[in-house]
Amino acid sequence: MSDIILAEFKSGTAAEDTPRIVAMHNADIGNGKTKLISLATILILLAVWWLVTSLKLVTPLFLPTPAEVVTQLVAIIEDGYANATLWQHVSASLLRISVSAALALALGIPVGLAMGLNRWAKGIFDPPIEFYWPLPPLAYLPLMIIWLGIGETSKIALLTLAMFAPICLSAQAGVRGVPLERVNAALSLGANQWQVFGAIMLPSALPEILTGLRIAVGVGWGTLVAAELIASTRGIGFMIMSASHFLATDVVFVGIAIIATFAFAFSYVLRWLEIVLVPWKGKH
Amino acid sequence: MNVMLKIQNASVYFAARGGGTVKALDHVNLEIHTGEIVVALGASGCGKSTLLNAIAGFLPISAGAITLDGQRIERPGADRGVVFQKDTLLPWKSVLDNVALGLDFAGLSHAVARENAAGLLKLVGLEDFAHSAPYELSGGMRQRVGIARALATNPAILLMDEPFGALDSFTREQMQELLISVWSKTGKTIFLITHSIDEALSLGTHVVVMSPRPGRIIARYDIGFVRHFLKCGDWGTIKASTEFIRLRETIRGLIHQSDPQSEIRSAVHV
Repeated sequence: MSDIILAEFKSGTAAEDTPRIVAMHNADIGNGKTKLISLATILILLAVWWLVTSLKLVTPLFLPTPAEVVTQLVAIIEDGYANATLWQHVSASLLRISVSAALALALGIPVGLAMGLNRWAKGIFDPPIEFYWPLPPLAYLPLMIIWLGIGETSKIALLTLAMFAPICLSAQAGVRGVPLERVNAALSLGANQWQVFGAIMLPSALPEILTGLRIAVGVGWGTLVAAELIASTRGIGFMIMSASHFLATDVVFVGIAIIATFAFAFSYVLRWLEIVLVPWKGKH
Repeated sequence: MNVMLKIQNASVYFAARGGGTVKALDHVNLEIHTGEIVVALGASGCGKSTLLNAIAGFLPISAGAITLDGQRIERPGADRGVVFQKDTLLPWKSVLDNVALGLDFAGLSHAVARENAAGLLKLVGLEDFAHSAPYELSGGMRQRVGIARALATNPAILLMDEPFGALDSFTREQMQELLISVWSKTGKTIFLITHSIDEALSLGTHVVVMSPRPGRIIARYDIGFVRHFLKCGDWGTIKASTEFIRLRETIRGLIHQSDPQSEIRSAVHV
C-alpha cells in the first residue's frame, strides 16, 4: 500500500490571532443597504427643484415652486376643488380602483386557473385575452363610452379590463409552474382531483397571483386618469385633467403627488400581504 | 411468504425523439414479498425510475401486468407511499401538517391526524421540529419528513426514488441507518432505487441489477448485510468483509459490462 498512500498528515495548526473576515463578491448588489442612498437622492431632487424655481430659471407655468404646491395642497384640503372636497375626489378614485381590483380578482383568478388546467378553457380564452391585453386602455376607451355610456359603468369596465389580464395570466402561469412531483406526491397520498386542486394547485399559484395583483394595481393607477377623462366630476384623475385645462400646474402637481402617495401605499400593503401570505416565496 | 407485489413481463415504451421507440423497460419480472427491502440498482437510463413510476401508478405500462395484493395497479394511491429524490414537501405547511397531509386527504379528524403525524415524526427523530417550516430544515431532515409523510397513510409498500441521492455522503449514511431502524420497527415492505452499489448492498434484503437499452433485470442477489447490521450494529466490519467487497466488485463488473459506454472507459485505462 505504500505506493498508494504516500504520506499522511494529522491536523494541529495554530489558530490565527485576528481572523480577517472575508465574503464572496456578489454578482448583483446583493444585500447592500440602499435606503440611505435613496433618501439622499430624494433630498437632492427636492433641493434642485427648489433651487431651479427660486432662481426663476423656468417660468412657474412649467414648474411651480415647492412652496406654491404646498400652498395649493392646503387650499384644496380646506376649500376643495371644482365643487368637491379633496376627500370626495380621493374616495371617488379609490372606490373605482378597489371595485375594479375586486372584480378583476374575482374573474381573473378562476379564468386563469382554468386556463392553466384545462385545454378547453385555454383554447377558448386565449385568443380574446391575447388580442385585447396588449392594447393601451385609451385605445378602447371610446368603445367603452359608446357601449356603456358615460357613467361609472364604463370607468369600472375600463379599469377592470386593464387589471384582469395581468391577474389572469399570472394565475395561469402559477398553476402551470406547479412541479409534477408535488402533484404526484399528493396523488400517492390518496388525494382526489379536488384535493389536488385545493391543497396543491391553489396555494402553489398564490405567489404568482399576488405578483399579478401588484402589476395589476400599477396598471390600474395608470389607467385611472384615462378612465376619469370620461365626463367625470370627481376623482384625482379628473382633478389633474381639469387643472391642465386652466394651466394650473400647481394643482397638477398636487394631483400627481396624491396618486403617487396612494400608489406607494398600495404597493407597500401588497408587499406586506406577500410576506404574510407567502413567507416561503423564493425559499423553495 | 406471500407475494405482495408482482410484476409480470412489464414493458414500457416511450416515443424516441427522432421517431421510433425507446424500450425503457423490457419484459421485467419481479416479485416482492412482505417485509423485504428490494433495491433496484443500475446506471442512469437503466429503467429503474420507470419501474418505480409504474409501480407508483404515475406511468401506465405498455405491456404486462403489475399487481399489488392481486389488484392491478392503474393509478397512484395511498396503498403505495412514495419518497421522492427531490423532496416534495409543501412549503406553506408546517412539518407536522406535511406529515398529516395524507391523513387529511383521507378525512381523518384534525386532532387524530396530528396525533398520528406526531408519532411518525418521533419515529424519524424530528419531534422537536414539528412546527418548523420545511425550508428551515436541512436536506437530510426534509427527506426524513418525506419518509414520515409517506408512512402516515400506512401504505402496503414504501417506494423510494433515489431518496438519498442528493445528500452528502455522511448524511447519506445517517439516513441509511435511519431507514434500517424504521424498517426494523415497522416491518414495512420497501422498494428502493439507487445508483450506489454500496447503498444497495447496505439496505437491500434483495438487490436486482438493471441494465440500460433496453431496461432489463440482469441479476438478482438475496443478501443479508442489513440483517447482519441489525445484530452487530457496526458497518465497519461488514463493509470491510470479503463477502461485501467481493459482491461489490462483481456487481460493479456486471454494470460496466452491460453499459455500452464501457468501451470508452477501457480505452482510457490502457
